[in-house]
Amino acid sequence: MIEISGLSKLFGDFTAVRDLSFRVGPGEVLGLVGPNGAGKTTTLRALAGIIPPTSGSIFIGGNDLLKDPISAKRHLAFFPDEPRLFDYLTVRQHLTFVARLYGVRDHEMIAQPLLEELEIADRADRLPAELSRGMKQKLAIACGLLHSPTALIFDEPLTGLDPLGIRRMKDSILRRARAGAAIVLSSHLLHLLEEVCSHVLILKKGERIAGGTMAEVHAQFSDGNPSASLEDVFIRATGGSEN
Amino acid sequence: MSLSGALLYLRAASLWGAVRSRVLRLKQPKYLLGAVVGVAYFYFFFFRPRGVVGPRGMPGNGAGGGLPTVSAETLLVIIGVAALALFLVALISWFVPRQAALAFSEAEIAFLFPAPVSRRMLIHYRILSSQFRLVLTAIIFTLIFRRGITLTHAVGWWVILATLNLHFTASSFVTTRLLNRTLTPPARRNVILVVAGVVVLALVAWGWVTIDPPTASDLRSGGALGNYVAVQLDRGPLPWLLAIPRLTLAPYFAADAHAFLLALGPALVVLGIHYFWVLHSEVSFEEASISRAEKRAARVRAVQQGDWRNQGQTLKPQRPPFNLASTGRPEVAFLWKNLLSTSALFRPVSLLVTAVVVFAVGSWLGRRPDLESARSIAAGFGTAFFTILLLFGPQMARQDLRTDLKNADILKTYPLRGWQIVLGQLLTPIFVLSAVTWVALLAVALVAPGMGFESQNPFLRAALLIGAAVLVPPFVALQLLVPNAAAVIFPAWVQTVSNRGEHGLDVMGQRIIFMAGQLLVTALALLPAAIVGGVLYLLVSWLAGFTLAFIVSVIALFAVLSAEVWAGVRLLGDRFEEFDLSAELRP
Repeated sequence: MIEISGLSKLFGDFTAVRDLSFRVGPGEVLGLVGPNGAGKTTTLRALAGIIPPTSGSIFIGGNDLLKDPISAKRHLAFFPDEPRLFDYLTVRQHLTFVARLYGVRDHEMIAQPLLEELEIADRADRLPAELSRGMKQKLAIACGLLHSPTALIFDEPLTGLDPLGIRRMKDSILRRARAGAAIVLSSHLLHLLEEVCSHVLILKKGERIAGGTMAEVHAQFSDGNPSASLEDVFIRATGGSEN
Repeated sequence: MSLSGALLYLRAASLWGAVRSRVLRLKQPKYLLGAVVGVAYFYFFFFRPRGVVGPRGMPGNGAGGGLPTVSAETLLVIIGVAALALFLVALISWFVPRQAALAFSEAEIAFLFPAPVSRRMLIHYRILSSQFRLVLTAIIFTLIFRRGITLTHAVGWWVILATLNLHFTASSFVTTRLLNRTLTPPARRNVILVVAGVVVLALVAWGWVTIDPPTASDLRSGGALGNYVAVQLDRGPLPWLLAIPRLTLAPYFAADAHAFLLALGPALVVLGIHYFWVLHSEVSFEEASISRAEKRAARVRAVQQGDWRNQGQTLKPQRPPFNLASTGRPEVAFLWKNLLSTSALFRPVSLLVTAVVVFAVGSWLGRRPDLESARSIAAGFGTAFFTILLLFGPQMARQDLRTDLKNADILKTYPLRGWQIVLGQLLTPIFVLSAVTWVALLAVALVAPGMGFESQNPFLRAALLIGAAVLVPPFVALQLLVPNAAAVIFPAWVQTVSNRGEHGLDVMGQRIIFMAGQLLVTALALLPAAIVGGVLYLLVSWLAGFTLAFIVSVIALFAVLSAEVWAGVRLLGDRFEEFDLSAELRP
């Protein structure tokens, strides 16, 4: 479970996120949407423990990320929009390294099926430089899933993927949710969110505009039009501009 | 606006943009401070009036000193040798396999290649674009080699550099054309290569029979060697081969303004012929230029991401240095990971083999008093290596937070305390530098003659060796903490200084400040250990003699240094946990 309350983040005088609260239960997928500069990435990075929030609290799997970050991070996996890999480690060596950090016993038993599921088992002895963008993304996902996290955070997970990769990524997210993971993802691709998310949170200029289940948000901003898409809802909710 | 006008506008606007951004960034204190220090460094190094008045016999002595006075005969030898060097550099360019490529940027390729711009116009544009860099290089060379600005020397340098630049381009055009089957049929290419081979062989044979090898008397003194070189440069094919390089060099070596003007004409003719040659070479440069631009961009990206070693080079998977178990101290995972990024020479097995070889050779040499000169040389090299490693090793071994700063986001998501990440990151350079320093220490201890070592008690020698060896890891760790602390406390600064591949006086100044700061902090950190160790040594030696005093002081030094390192690791760890990369690295 992911739970944040009163989260604010300031960069100097600039407020990136203001008093944000939400909860993502097991099996739920929350889509974070908003125009550029809405504070989506800042929220995700605070959730992942990368940047300290200015105020508020964050709980991951019942552990306070600010007071007990080690326990909280053991339940967490963060997937940035650009896969961050180590240039000198092969695919297999990445998994060995991550397994040691998380103390995953007999990690080969988990890693091999994971690599096969993600279709990179035949590249296990390749370096990142020898992998395509999609393959790198898959490796980053394999590293993130190795310790069986219960809270998954994706920042623009479809960036750089081909249509087949997008399909598999969506399936993978849904599969993890069905297995009981709490998932937060941000994306500008609203059709992805419509397909994958059970809940949606619309941000603008660091503040919550709307949030709830897809049906609730749809009802709030569709102006009575049952065929309105999330795109219509988004444009209506945000007023059609960044400002 | 005409096409050439548009290209000129692009060049001028780009130059203005580059200068403007450099000036505007001086609003940031780190650049302003860096610029002040950089300018001061330049002033003190190149322009500061020196007590010694420059030689009048040599042209171009600037306000601040100059080269030592040389006789006319020596100057002739210098010019001859310089002409030979220029000739060899130009010659080598024909044997280096290169594609005909012009140094366009990716943006220039994207905009100019599809545009209705003629091939000749593109070459013109590229040649003119390279002049700014060449002029800048000429000015820097003038400052370095003459210690003062004189226009004739700057122009002289520019003529040399511009001619060489065009020669490199032309040679790549010719060789590309020669190797292209469509442009040069194999039969014709073979004829050209055979004729070129015969000419080269004839010249070598001519030189072989006319140029004398040096005798022992020729090598007796500098003067004798100079006379020998002067005579040989005038023999066989050399006067013919060096005629054009001499023309190119003449403006630079001109004794006065009149001689310079006389020399400039022929040199510009040589330059003009090269220009004409490049412009009229019928060879396709587009494809190779695109490839070159892509490689350059990849290299720049690698440097900007902090990867100096992997500047777009192809990496190969490495065998792990040891088997990493799934469970255990997580810090060891960083040692394992970072060792994978080091050269195979620095892996534990390689270092062990090196130590065994050094021990075997050192022991043998140490038992051979008849080889004292060899022992002296080995000891000298060992001592120099040991000192360099201790002082500059931390700047060379960078497999730590400095390299992994680009991955700070991911590191922070791991379930580890900050100090664990910092300690783990430090382990590899500590291990590598300590091991290599130990090997150097071992070599010195085994072969060092003339230091009284051979007459000392073997136990004392062993104690001194072990004492020094024990102190190496904490000392190295302390040194490594300083740049790593800078990486975490001033990440934007370190990114600029170390990683982004930026240039300029302000960045140079930042590097100077950084180095000075590191030396100062290291010295301050050593002070408590030195005081405690020194006091204990004096006290115990007074009470119980040298041996016990030595042991106690080594233990004390080790303890204080280790405590400082531990405190530093904890502090850096706390800082790393609070470290807000997105705020710190904002441009």
